[in-house]
Amino acid sequence: MARNLGVILVVVLVLGGLFFLLRPDTSATGPRHRTFDISIEDGEMRPDEISVKEGDRVTLHIRSDKPMEFHMHGYDVEREVGPGQKAELHFEADITGRFEIEDHESEAELGVLQVRPR
Amino acid sequence: MEVKTRRVVAAALVFSLFLADAHPALAHGFGPTYDIPIPLWLYLYGAAAAVVIAFVPLALFSRKERDEDAAYRYPRFDLFRVRPLRTLLTSRLLTGGLRLLSVALFFVVVIAGLVGLQSGFNIAPTFVWVTWWVGLSFFTALVGNLWPLVNPWKVIFDSAEGLVRRLGLRDGLELGAPYPEALGIWPAVGLYLVFVWTENVFSGSYVPRNIALFALAYTLITLYCMAFFGKETWLRRGEVFSVFFGLLGRFAPTEVRVKDPDVCLGCVYCDGEAGRCVNCYECFARATAEERELNLRPPAVGLGLPERVPPGAAAFVIVVLAGVTFDGLLQTPLWLEIVRLTPVTQTLGVILLPLLFFCIYLGFVELSRILGGGGEVSFRRFASAYAFSLVPIAIAYQMAHYYTYLLIQGQMIFSLVSDPLGWGWNLFGTADFEPYYGIVGAGFVWYSQVGLIVAGHVIAVYLAHSISLRLQRDPARAFRSQLPMLVLMVLYTVTSLWILAQPIVK
Repeated sequence: MARNLGVILVVVLVLGGLFFLLRPDTSATGPRHRTFDISIEDGEMRPDEISVKEGDRVTLHIRSDKPMEFHMHGYDVEREVGPGQKAELHFEADITGRFEIEDHESEAELGVLQVRPR
Repeated sequence: MEVKTRRVVAAALVFSLFLADAHPALAHGFGPTYDIPIPLWLYLYGAAAAVVIAFVPLALFSRKERDEDAAYRYPRFDLFRVRPLRTLLTSRLLTGGLRLLSVALFFVVVIAGLVGLQSGFNIAPTFVWVTWWVGLSFFTALVGNLWPLVNPWKVIFDSAEGLVRRLGLRDGLELGAPYPEALGIWPAVGLYLVFVWTENVFSGSYVPRNIALFALAYTLITLYCMAFFGKETWLRRGEVFSVFFGLLGRFAPTEVRVKDPDVCLGCVYCDGEAGRCVNCYECFARATAEERELNLRPPAVGLGLPERVPPGAAAFVIVVLAGVTFDGLLQTPLWLEIVRLTPVTQTLGVILLPLLFFCIYLGFVELSRILGGGGEVSFRRFASAYAFSLVPIAIAYQMAHYYTYLLIQGQMIFSLVSDPLGWGWNLFGTADFEPYYGIVGAGFVWYSQVGLIVAGHVIAVYLAHSISLRLQRDPARAFRSQLPMLVLMVLYTVTSLWILAQPIVK
């Protein structure tokens, strides 16, 4: 019995120690302000992945060669974009996860927004 | 007879290929993924934990040999002993209501698929792929197997048979053709592969009309085979969802049991010995109220029972393990490269991955037999006993992979029940319900995914340990023979974690 408890104790200590050893320290970096220039040409969005961290304040400058509706899932925001008219989108990245960005008019998937936890 | 069954399976395959799109897209039948890949450090941590934990039982648990009956002697509590629970759970209002609801939902899905809106609002895809397939799988593994009660094909068959009897046309619908026992559950294995293909490869799997057509085709196959071979036989051998949910039900923390062995006389599925009629739904249906038990039990013990299993049982388990992995593998950059550089296609992958899994599994089984001194226990018995011990890892991976999806996409069902056909109805006033995305944070998702997979691994390792003690009467041999299985479990667990750590490609 004592031997079993000893084994369990060693396993818990090893696994617990390993966890704190491997876990990176992210407390040093606070939320930042991030700006992205996004262009949509021939139904292709560049860049096709917007990656930010939880709490960041994000600004998107969106341009498109055709009229379209820029729709971001999860945050459920929409902007109409067309040739010659630049759209701007502000939001605070407070929901973590991976969310699709699509053209609401053609329902085509353009890219993703990734909000990583802090 | 064998030819006939094969013909039915072949017809199902041809039918599904006929519906296939000429351009197999990389799209997943289930829609978007909400999870961010787990970070490298957490993947490495999970992998290290899997290795450490795998070898703990060797130091921890008793090395006493175990007889077969010991596997049935786990702590359990009969819920029927609590009077209010008994009244509730056995009331015809509840059981009959659930059966009726199930058949009604089946018809709603078929009708919505055939006449409802084809793009956008339609209950068929969300109900079938999210609520039923993912949701009921989780329910079965975590609570208990409801499928034998609510299986709509069984309910339809029972009602048709009742009607025929009442009209005095025939004594029943069964034609009583003998089922070739050598065929075992291979029909279910074949149908499961078709299902995995439909779920993951077929680009039209989200189209309501295809779902309705598949459901109708499957209804024809199932009702025909139930009549031809007998209802119980087909439910045990060929009705793929009964076999699948039955497998998950072995993991569940509840079981149905029949106390009186007299009930089991002549039952070909349970052994008919006292105290061994566990989750034999045929006997349970025959038993009187006093002979029935509905037990709470430790999870996963049902996977370690020394039951006689039909031919193909191990293959079915391996196909399920591979199917679960295939689902995640499809979204990894590695798979994209394989499809780009080799002649392997998505469809070929549905067959090749289970074959690869099967070969690796049998290799490890043989190794385990050699290390254990081989000889007395047959290879076949080894192979079918150990297969079940891997199931907890597959269940854990499936949950890690899908639970956010169920939580977020599953919310769609609230608005869909109000407008199942997409015709602008608002039956329950919930048609405008918007899913809430922020239910679980990505950080919590990471830790819970790794936690789930490691927990599944712990259970699997424990099962392998107790199965080896049962197969090998000599503890020293059991000790050696479980080593290859533990290595295999580490491999499977680390593969699951690796998939979760991969960047998602579309």
